[in-house]
Amino acid sequence: MRKKILAGIAVGALAAMGTAVPANAISDTSADLYILHAVPGLMVDLYVDGKLTLDDFEPGDLTDAIDLPAGTYTVAITTAEAPDDSAPVIPAFDITLGANMSYTAVAHLDAAGGPTATMFTNDLSAIAAGQGRITVRHTAAAPTVDILAGGATHFSNLSNAGEVMHDMAVGTISAAVALTGTLVPVIGPADVTVAEGTNVIVYAWGSAEAGNLALAVQVIDGLQTNPVGVPAGSAGLAAEGNNVALIGGLGGLAALLALVAFAATRGTRARAAN
Amino acid sequence: MTAKVLALAIMALLLVGCATTPNQSIAPSVSPDTASDNASDTASAPRPSAELNIQRQSAALQPVVQAPVPVRIQIPSVSIDIEIVPVGVEANGFMEIPENVTIAGWYRYGPAPSSDKGSTVITAHVDALVQGLGPFAALSSLPENAEIIVTTDTGVEHRYILESVQNFEKKQLPLDQVFDRSGAPRLVLITCGGQFDKKSRTYSDNVVAIAYPN
Repeated sequence: MRKKILAGIAVGALAAMGTAVPANAISDTSADLYILHAVPGLMVDLYVDGKLTLDDFEPGDLTDAIDLPAGTYTVAITTAEAPDDSAPVIPAFDITLGANMSYTAVAHLDAAGGPTATMFTNDLSAIAAGQGRITVRHTAAAPTVDILAGGATHFSNLSNAGEVMHDMAVGTISAAVALTGTLVPVIGPADVTVAEGTNVIVYAWGSAEAGNLALAVQVIDGLQTNPVGVPAGSAGLAAEGNNVALIGGLGGLAALLALVAFAATRGTRARAAN
Repeated sequence: MTAKVLALAIMALLLVGCATTPNQSIAPSVSPDTASDNASDTASAPRPSAELNIQRQSAALQPVVQAPVPVRIQIPSVSIDIEIVPVGVEANGFMEIPENVTIAGWYRYGPAPSSDKGSTVITAHVDALVQGLGPFAALSSLPENAEIIVTTDTGVEHRYILESVQNFEKKQLPLDQVFDRSGAPRLVLITCGGQFDKKSRTYSDNVVAIAYPN
């Protein structure tokens, strides 16, 4: 029975392609929980309510969405060798999951380099057509940072366990992380693509002192807004029972308009990075 | 407790399945073939020591793969052979459509022909005052099983076989299904039809042709 159930869960998650799980996996009684391991150099086991849930969880790994009934759970993180959750490396902490919500629990380093955990809430609100959402979370052993895009500061003074977010036109940005006020990247620059209707969540993690700062990326898709309609005709020539003759001419103007439309559009279809 | 969690998780998955079940017939009739592959992949993955071994993978930044852009559509049975350009949405929220009736627009925010799931949406005006009827006027009279060929900017030809052609009153157009980003990969061609309102210069219906990869 268990094998069947596990397969069912895995199919549900994988059918949605990696970590890009549609927002509608949640419900009026359940929440989505993702777990990111962002403590460098330490393989761990993760227990939920005393039950081993993630065995040999590697640094830099992110789980698929776990659909859980709304409620409060106790999470404990131990070394991978621990026989049970009695000696956690990060003190056990409670997480409260609300219905219809999406969360990412991140085991990471605090600013001083000690292990800690932070629960982030993922914004699943609808994104305007043509836009994507970028969220940046500071989960690294580093002081406050600025987030640079194309070399210029876009978010400043982000501190450990903090996040910033905004919706933007789809596209690829050259993103970098610099210690506040320095404009000198300590991570990146790296190309981050924000696809339409997705919340691209970028984590700065690792340790500045240990020289292993890195980016982790989580993508939540399915937040798009569809067009409201398809108005594909204006002359009435194709109407049912219509016998109006074809009207020709003036094609040059229409062709010009089409050319302008073409120039104004760029294909930015992108695969979600995870 | 875990069993209960699992049971609820399964129920949630099943409910999700139900929620996406079409009540209109343009939703995919073919289920994605990924399900069986994944089931076999994961059968060996869970370790016996974990109560619930969740799938996980590296969150490292991945290079972005751009899907090839469709540039040409051919429907030989009705002599359609026109250019496709990428389009988005107008400021008023409607899908952008090339003014020129002999150019089709591909909804660039949705799936592309190479996508492994979802609707590739391609639209063209049925007519225009200055140009007259456009090639997509033939959508409403496509022969059964018509072949549709969409070529991408990488030169790859994607072949589809017509599944259905339907008229939807514009207000009834199932936008979630038309612009679906999940479900079986399919091609959705749209233009206008039905009655014409001379005052508003709009048609009553959308003509929607659905085709599946051959």
